[in-house]
Amino acid sequence: MLSSTSSFKPSENPPTYQREVPAGRLGLTWVAAIACFLLGLLAWEMNWRAYGSVPSYRNSDGLWAMQRRRIDAGEGDKTVIIGSSRLLFDLQLPVWERSFGERPIQLALEGTGPVPFLEDLANDPHFTGKLLMGVSPVLYFMGFDRRVGALDLLQRETLAQRAGQWLSMHLVEPFFAYYDEDFALMTVLKRQPWPDRAGAPSPPEVRKLSIHGADRNFQMWSKVENDPQYQEMARRTWSQLIKWRRKGGPPPDPAKLREEHIRRSVAAVAKLRARGVPVIFVRPPSAGEWLAAEEGGFPRAETWDVLLQRTEAGGIHFQDYPELQGLTLPEWSHLSRADAEKFTERLCRILQKEFGWALSSSGS
Amino acid sequence: MLFNSLTFIVFFAVVLGLHNAPLPWRGKKIILLVASYIFYGAWSPPFVILLWISTVLDWFVARRLDQTEAPGRRRLLLLISMVGNLGMLGYFKYGEFLMENFVQAMSLLGVIYQPPKWDIVLPVGISFYTFQTMAYSLDVYLRRAKPAKSFLDFALFVTFFPQLVAGPIVRPLDLIPQFATPRTASARQLGWGLMLMVLGLFQKIVLADGLLAPVADKVFAVKEMLHPLDAWCGTLAFSGQIFFDFAGYTTTAIGAALALGFSIPDNFRAPYAAIGFSDFWCRWHISLSTWLRDYLYIPLGGNRRGPARTYVNLMTTMLLGGLWHGAAWTFVVWGGLHGLYLCLERILKPRLGHLAFWRSMGGKITLALITYFLVNLTWVFFRAQDFATAWRMLSSMLLLNRAGGPVLTTYFLVTALGTIAAMLVVHWRMRHQTLHEEVQRWPAPVLGLAWGAMLWLIVTTQGGGNAFIYFQF
Repeated sequence: MLSSTSSFKPSENPPTYQREVPAGRLGLTWVAAIACFLLGLLAWEMNWRAYGSVPSYRNSDGLWAMQRRRIDAGEGDKTVIIGSSRLLFDLQLPVWERSFGERPIQLALEGTGPVPFLEDLANDPHFTGKLLMGVSPVLYFMGFDRRVGALDLLQRETLAQRAGQWLSMHLVEPFFAYYDEDFALMTVLKRQPWPDRAGAPSPPEVRKLSIHGADRNFQMWSKVENDPQYQEMARRTWSQLIKWRRKGGPPPDPAKLREEHIRRSVAAVAKLRARGVPVIFVRPPSAGEWLAAEEGGFPRAETWDVLLQRTEAGGIHFQDYPELQGLTLPEWSHLSRADAEKFTERLCRILQKEFGWALSSSGS
Repeated sequence: MLFNSLTFIVFFAVVLGLHNAPLPWRGKKIILLVASYIFYGAWSPPFVILLWISTVLDWFVARRLDQTEAPGRRRLLLLISMVGNLGMLGYFKYGEFLMENFVQAMSLLGVIYQPPKWDIVLPVGISFYTFQTMAYSLDVYLRRAKPAKSFLDFALFVTFFPQLVAGPIVRPLDLIPQFATPRTASARQLGWGLMLMVLGLFQKIVLADGLLAPVADKVFAVKEMLHPLDAWCGTLAFSGQIFFDFAGYTTTAIGAALALGFSIPDNFRAPYAAIGFSDFWCRWHISLSTWLRDYLYIPLGGNRRGPARTYVNLMTTMLLGGLWHGAAWTFVVWGGLHGLYLCLERILKPRLGHLAFWRSMGGKITLALITYFLVNLTWVFFRAQDFATAWRMLSSMLLLNRAGGPVLTTYFLVTALGTIAAMLVVHWRMRHQTLHEEVQRWPAPVLGLAWGAMLWLIVTTQGGGNAFIYFQF
């Protein structure tokens, strides 16, 4: 290799560097490699299909950014949904479309408080439609930020990343059931029953709960509804997670944190209202240990009621409407597919009846 | 555009197809040039202008340098090239750092200065291509090389997409002549090039991002004192992560170039099997270390001006080498430690090098492990966001403070330490041989199984498309 020019003089006319190629049967190597790869991939895909997985669009930041950009690309007058996983699972876009005649833009993100996203929309003059905002008390008032990086991606997403998102949605995601972060090799390895290490417990990891459409219409994964063991595991995970959070102790000043998120919400809602954007808060149903933890740690009088009163926005709390109660939440936090459709239909009627949102002729 | 992305796979397939189409050589070179601009512009189109500035500046400066005999005029021309290239680098990479230090220095003098917010995005790979074009002007200035005959060839040399953003920093004489004559890969070159690309992506996606980065990230994010095992595990994981990340990039780059018919020199040779620091720098980021040697250390006088000046030259070279990596004092300390190690090695070698033990296998392994241990201490400064984190880590690692608690679960300990142990064994085995020498000893079906397994691991790991660490430099 010519690693240095220090000893070179132009007159010496050195040979051009030529990389060596190993001797041997590279063609046969490639045939064997591709055969091994395809066999392995087939086995992996069949394994996850047998487990119950089906091809689904990946719940990525890129997909979120794609939907968010619709607002700035001429669809700013549409209804936009932000919030956490509950409004993501519980609000079915096709049902909404049947009711209101247009499909909303779904921007809710699981495990994430929506206040930064509310501020983002408030600061975007292109958004002039209607806003439905999900409130999951723990995430909203504690400001969980699991997926807040999606906003960063929106700002700095490169052309290559956008192209990659498009290619993935057309060449990979609709065809492979294994292509889900819950089935990624390292995730699978990590959740094996490794021996505990004293003093270094691992936080419980939430397993796959949903499948997703190209426009982020989420549905509960059928395995959560139909496989009692998996359903039990999902509930156990929530239970462990709630205990894990309790064990970690409350944040230094929960009241201050709550006030901070309410204050930011008030400012953002005022900005939106000034632009003529109606904002409705929605508290979707929860059950079991989730509901107990929320009622214990985030009493309605100190959270929901204060939020509505100070923002002067409309609100729909599931406990105020008999038709939004008694629905099936297989793992305490999200509605089953069938009941998510019922919930959406009933929510649309409430929006029409109480807030004057006009139903389409087919939805009325 | 990242190598570890679907976009790149499609992009490369298109470029490979066009490069092998029945087109004139000049047309193929134009396609490669346009493809390289698309590759770079896919991050941020405006930054392609920087590439053009660098290209045009050094093209004209080198031509005038070659035609001019007057020493003063030649120095002026070289200065124009240096100011242009280093000015760009300084503005984008070091501007904020210099401003912060200026503000701190002023505050020490009692002057409170509030500068405007420095909101400049660092162009990807700017340190790599500015060093590459500077080498061209310097070679022509020093009469080591003649300027390129074709502007197209020179533009392609600056922009050639496989090694554009993270090296290897290719010397003009290694690459420009390859553009002069028509070139497509033979079937064997194509096959081996694609195999290298698979190996590089395996290193990046599976080993660096999949197994090691989560451990290093978790440990270096802790704001409290750590258990010594955790601190060591995090640092060792980072030593592997940065190797597999960077070597993964360059292996993919070398493979992509070879699949197109071009040869790019090696950048790594089993660095963690190094015995001593001179050896380490002959194995780690070779294209940078030889660049610094040829264009900084030797012009400073190298080892020709007595021991004291040699040590000063070594320290200067390594401190600047540290600063090349990033605009932060932690990188300067990283470079300083490497300079110090090189000086110490130079002092100790004549005094202890004659002992027979060092020539035994046990002695060599001991020296290699000492080298790896000391390299790991420098990685702490390289990875830590600030000195507080670095001191905390070192206190735990050197058992100066054992009060810290564990953070890593068994899974993280097993995967990180297992991967590092395997890496060290492989590096030791590869100490005196190249990859192609090793590979040609394997039967084709076994090799096929290994490469098939790597492909499977790449696909099932479902990498998140993380950027390569060295892109930020």
